Amino acid sequence: MDIDDLLAEVSAGAIPQQQRDLQELTRAWVAERCAPEILEWPENLMGRVLGRIRKQIELVEEQTGDMDAKTNFKLIIVQTELERFKFLVRSFLRARIKKIDAHPHHLLSLLPTNPRLLSPSEQQYLTAHQSLLSAHYAASFLSQFPAPLQKLDDTTGGVSMIDRPDTQSAVFARALRDCEVWSEGGGEGARVRMRRGDVWVVRWGGVRAAVERGDVELI
Amino acid sequence: MYGEIGNKLVQHAKRTQSLAHLPPYQTEMVRAVTREVRDLDKDVAAILEPFAGSFNPSTEPATACALLVNHLCMRRNKRCLLAYHRVRSDRLEEMCWNGVDVLERQYQQQQNSNRPAGEGDGSSSSLSPEEEEYVRQYSDLLAAYKGQWTDIDLTGSLEPPKDLFIDVRVLKDAGEIQTEYGAITLTKNSQFYVRQGDVERLISQGYLQRLS
Repeated sequence: MDIDDLLAEVSAGAIPQQQRDLQELTRAWVAERCAPEILEWPENLMGRVLGRIRKQIELVEEQTGDMDAKTNFKLIIVQTELERFKFLVRSFLRARIKKIDAHPHHLLSLLPTNPRLLSPSEQQYLTAHQSLLSAHYAASFLSQFPAPLQKLDDTTGGVSMIDRPDTQSAVFARALRDCEVWSEGGGEGARVRMRRGDVWVVRWGGVRAAVERGDVELI
Repeated sequence: MYGEIGNKLVQHAKRTQSLAHLPPYQTEMVRAVTREVRDLDKDVAAILEPFAGSFNPSTEPATACALLVNHLCMRRNKRCLLAYHRVRSDRLEEMCWNGVDVLERQYQQQQNSNRPAGEGDGSSSSLSPEEEEYVRQYSDLLAAYKGQWTDIDLTGSLEPPKDLFIDVRVLKDAGEIQTEYGAITLTKNSQFYVRQGDVERLISQGYLQRLS
């Protein structure tokens, strides 16, 4: 632990929880939109954010009758903020749904080992959507296929039917703390040190662990 | 034979991606590809029959090769069919997300196409019956998932909001809407300064136009 860490801890305490949540949400949103893979569902954060959104909506509903110019103006600010928060959450959820739809079988195979990857409602959506799709395929043509060819997650014949996210795609990453990441530079690959504030283009596979630890953020 | 129709189907799917509307479902082609797969499977069974389960590929390279080609073609056809259906179901899902009532539109299309032809055939529908069923179930699923996020309005605009209030012009009469600042009557060609959240639905449905 060096002076930067100490300073970071002190300043983190000084920022109110609400603001830190906004920062975290924005970070999660950017990361989700940039990373090729789906990231773990931030359950606590989302719980807090949703709770606060609900409270603000109630506040707005309570005070709309008020014709006082001052509260009215305050209300507009609250509503504007509310819309922005809603947008963040909406866009975040939509980005996740998109990934869920893109790699359903891959995610289904991941879930048993990492049940916190998706929220319960997302898991429901995934399984329900997948069963819908396979029923649709079966009804359209698969049921008339010879039995050995009816599977949707076939890996025989040299071609896997399961689509996987490309973990080797490049992302822009900024280090929040000094840390080590895996870089593929020069074909061999090596551990490289990232200093706080550095912005690099790296392969997602190399920084995934650091992003999950919170050492690195995607931009 | 050997994947030719499958290829056509994939080309069709490729074309679908760049079209604004969904072209009619190629029932004939799908059936032909499925038939081809079944024929190939029968061929494989027929080739293997005389060997009675004791087939050794290294002693009969020619037969092994024929079998391989048949197997590969079946798999390829399957992939073509899956790709074709996936492209279409993706498109249908997108419509569901955008709040387009696919089935309603479908029905209208049929009505329109039936009218000039006098008695049009029922096959003018661009969706297969299976797809209609899929759309129905997917919208239910989507509604169920959305229902858990009532505060957020998941199908709302994905553009970051800049202003709380926006200028809109009414393109079609939409009747009266309730906002927290009282009721507004939306008559054609009138212009309003309203809260974006209140009218988003109407904009996506084409009743209002946003003025920048």
